[in-house]
Amino acid sequence: MADQPKAGSALDAVQAGPATEAALPARLAPTDLHNPSVDALRARFGAAVLHHEVTAGDQHVVYLEAGRNVEILRWLKEDPTQHYDFLADVTAVDFGGGRPLQVVYQLWSMPHRRALRVKCELPLTALTIDSVQPLWKTADWLEREVYDLFGIEFAGHPDLRRILMPENYAEGHPLRKDFPLRGRFTRAEQTRRALSQDPNDQYIPAELAMGREPQQATPMPAGGPIPTDRSGGATGAGR
Amino acid sequence: MELDDKRLPGGGTSARTDDGLFGTGGPTFLTTKLDFVVNWARRSSLWPMPFGTACCAIEMMAAAASNYDLARFGMERMSFSPRQADVLICAGRVPYKLAPILRRIWDQMPQPKWCISMGACASSGGVFDAYSMVQGIDTIVPVDVYIPGCPPRPEGLIYGLMMIQEKIREESLAHHKTLRAEDPLRAGFPEADADEVVGLTGPFGNSTKQNRVSGLERTDRADRPRDRKP
Amino acid sequence: MAQKTVEYAVSRNPEMGTGGLPAHGPLFPVDIAEPQMSSENMLINIGPQHPATHGVLRLVCELDGETVLKVIPHIGYLHSSFEKLGEYRTWNQVVPLTDRMDYLAPLIYNCAYVMSVEKLLGIQVTERCKVFRVILMEMERIFSHLLWLGTTAIDVGAFTPFLYAFQERERIYKLHEKYTGARITTSSTRVGGMMADIPAGWIDQLKDFLKSFPRTLDEIDALLTTNGIHLGRTQNVGVISGEDAINCGFTGPNLRASGVPYDLRKDKPYYDYETYDFEVPIGQHGDCYDRYLVRMDEMRQSMKILHQAIGRLPGGPMDVQDPHVTLPTKTDCMSDMESMIHHFKLIMEGIKGPAGDCYFAVEGSKGELGMYVVSDGGPKPVRWRIRPPSFVNLSVIPRLAEGHLVSDLIMINASLDIVLGEIDR
Repeated sequence: MADQPKAGSALDAVQAGPATEAALPARLAPTDLHNPSVDALRARFGAAVLHHEVTAGDQHVVYLEAGRNVEILRWLKEDPTQHYDFLADVTAVDFGGGRPLQVVYQLWSMPHRRALRVKCELPLTALTIDSVQPLWKTADWLEREVYDLFGIEFAGHPDLRRILMPENYAEGHPLRKDFPLRGRFTRAEQTRRALSQDPNDQYIPAELAMGREPQQATPMPAGGPIPTDRSGGATGAGR
Repeated sequence: MELDDKRLPGGGTSARTDDGLFGTGGPTFLTTKLDFVVNWARRSSLWPMPFGTACCAIEMMAAAASNYDLARFGMERMSFSPRQADVLICAGRVPYKLAPILRRIWDQMPQPKWCISMGACASSGGVFDAYSMVQGIDTIVPVDVYIPGCPPRPEGLIYGLMMIQEKIREESLAHHKTLRAEDPLRAGFPEADADEVVGLTGPFGNSTKQNRVSGLERTDRADRPRDRKP
Repeated sequence: MAQKTVEYAVSRNPEMGTGGLPAHGPLFPVDIAEPQMSSENMLINIGPQHPATHGVLRLVCELDGETVLKVIPHIGYLHSSFEKLGEYRTWNQVVPLTDRMDYLAPLIYNCAYVMSVEKLLGIQVTERCKVFRVILMEMERIFSHLLWLGTTAIDVGAFTPFLYAFQERERIYKLHEKYTGARITTSSTRVGGMMADIPAGWIDQLKDFLKSFPRTLDEIDALLTTNGIHLGRTQNVGVISGEDAINCGFTGPNLRASGVPYDLRKDKPYYDYETYDFEVPIGQHGDCYDRYLVRMDEMRQSMKILHQAIGRLPGGPMDVQDPHVTLPTKTDCMSDMESMIHHFKLIMEGIKGPAGDCYFAVEGSKGELGMYVVSDGGPKPVRWRIRPPSFVNLSVIPRLAEGHLVSDLIMINASLDIVLGEIDR
């Protein structure tokens, strides 16, 4: 190291700019191009498997047709050759600029010790996808969170309500790229609205009734009117 | 019975008898200023209401545990019920969803009461200058002592509580009515009005100067002076 | 794979039915006529500010007498918009956010985040850094389990273990402080390495801790493991089967207590965990007592790993020698113009990687801690997503607590080892 010009070479490398996709360094080349699940998916579902890519060396990503997600995920879960019995995560990604939102499922198969990432793309005009809550109970809260923060509706979810933000939150879905970091309202308005929530939220009777009577899954409309003060009466799932 | 000339702290005097208050030869009565004795009683057995939410709550627990031992200051009785508490220690960040609960707990505490804002997030929002966070709990409840740090060390919390004790020492019952007056109609409303909130929570630091998606636009080479066209 | 079943030599109380009630009849068989009561159920609200909720969790319970019919957890009272803030920060600037998320085991979060970014950027950290991160992560596992132990013991009425546990935690606080300068908010990792090399004397201090800690652990063990009250409060309470636990997304000690030997250190090994000699403790019954036993044994296994890791800690550099990632040394920056420009560029422009996404999970103290980072080739994440272990673990509480007593609900909640900072993010 002593005979090399110490910092000059480092700076040159930095000035040359970042590694681009056109010239991927060897360390980023995919190391594991073959995944049996991907081949099986292609063989069985054909055109519903839109795209397959390998990222970060060895992570396999499959893009599925959004309308058939439950059917294909059910097969992935129940087929003995796949057996993805563990759903690690459900989340969404917004790239901004009007590009479609991605719903991301991270799957893991305990018996086969294999991971698979499944993505479904939803255009901003039709943000609805079928819920996988009947397959994995994990998805219950995770889908509620995606609904809360991204506004993606999960059809068939038994209890689709906001989970992290307050019930009377009216500024939209915070993790969208068009949502400003500090929120849409002024701080004064946010404070006023926060203090106008009643700590005894009114949606408890509706929650208690859930799972007792025949399911009345009426998810909250995305742009629907949201009562903002305590006189708002019963809000929540029953709406 | 003979009067002892020895001055007691606070300017009081005492009398000694054979079976006194504190054993043989101890005083049977004390004379002192009412302010002093009331403040002494108040500050020596503060019951904190630990409103712990995040990292600061862990430091608060460390302060109550054996190494730092808050009991030395008469504060070992953490009062988890606001009705029996004197000091509200708001330790940790407070999102807007939690703000009405904080306010309600403050309203439930009886006078005299004090409030400590522990840590950067409670005092100013800290690094969380974002959509869901209250930018300083002084917009919600009145605060007596702010403890800086992210999180403050247990020593910091103990120092903050001693500042509260200091504050109590200065108080006088003569001003109790004005100092401790509370308007019941203000219960449940924010401490600061709209203008104050805007003033207190204005953007600061570089958090609002950063762009959204990624730094690609910002780090455009043309932005650097030497690349600019003459 | 090395695993062992935890079963303490205490016979499990066969009289205890579910709910901690004797299975064969009432506790006091006095013939008292049942009072005529209307069948109206009671609704009680626990939290969000309650000492037994371990943070700002709110549980709404519907009760029939003292039996819990339904629990509705309400979360979000600590939603601090971490994921949104992460999109506004460069890869390295996100690190300070990670330790404010789980303040019970900050270093695991620091490490998990940079490990996912390194995987995305294709950076291979040095051998010394790898072993040192293993040391930090195992130390944090003990750190986190100790807090869990202390607070859970308080929930079942034992205050002494809290004081004992905090005594040992103070020693880890000192280790944090010596290395990072902070007691909780460590922010110690950087993409491609650590904030600094190991300070002199740090390893010796850690060895001292490892020497004294087993004694304290045995003392706590003696206080709780065969304690009749503790057994009565935990055995057969909050039982979940292994299959259900997988379906519900349980991970970490909670899943292993149900008998599923899923441990990422063994199943998806990272940082050469497969070469360390340790066992994965699993339970048989999936109740609160097994969760307690599994965590107690995990602390012992962590000590075992720590001893091995200290033994194999190699010399050499801590950071990767990659000018795109690593800052020049402070001395160079202050004396050499090129180094200073290099430093300035890396700080102001950030590290740039390829476009793509990466999900990387480590075995956190509470379960599978996954970090999902999405990049568009810029110096900031397009999306930074945390797969929150306690969020998913908590979502099972309605199912676990149904039919138990209210006091058992508190124990079940405590046994899940939740941290609200990470649940709400």
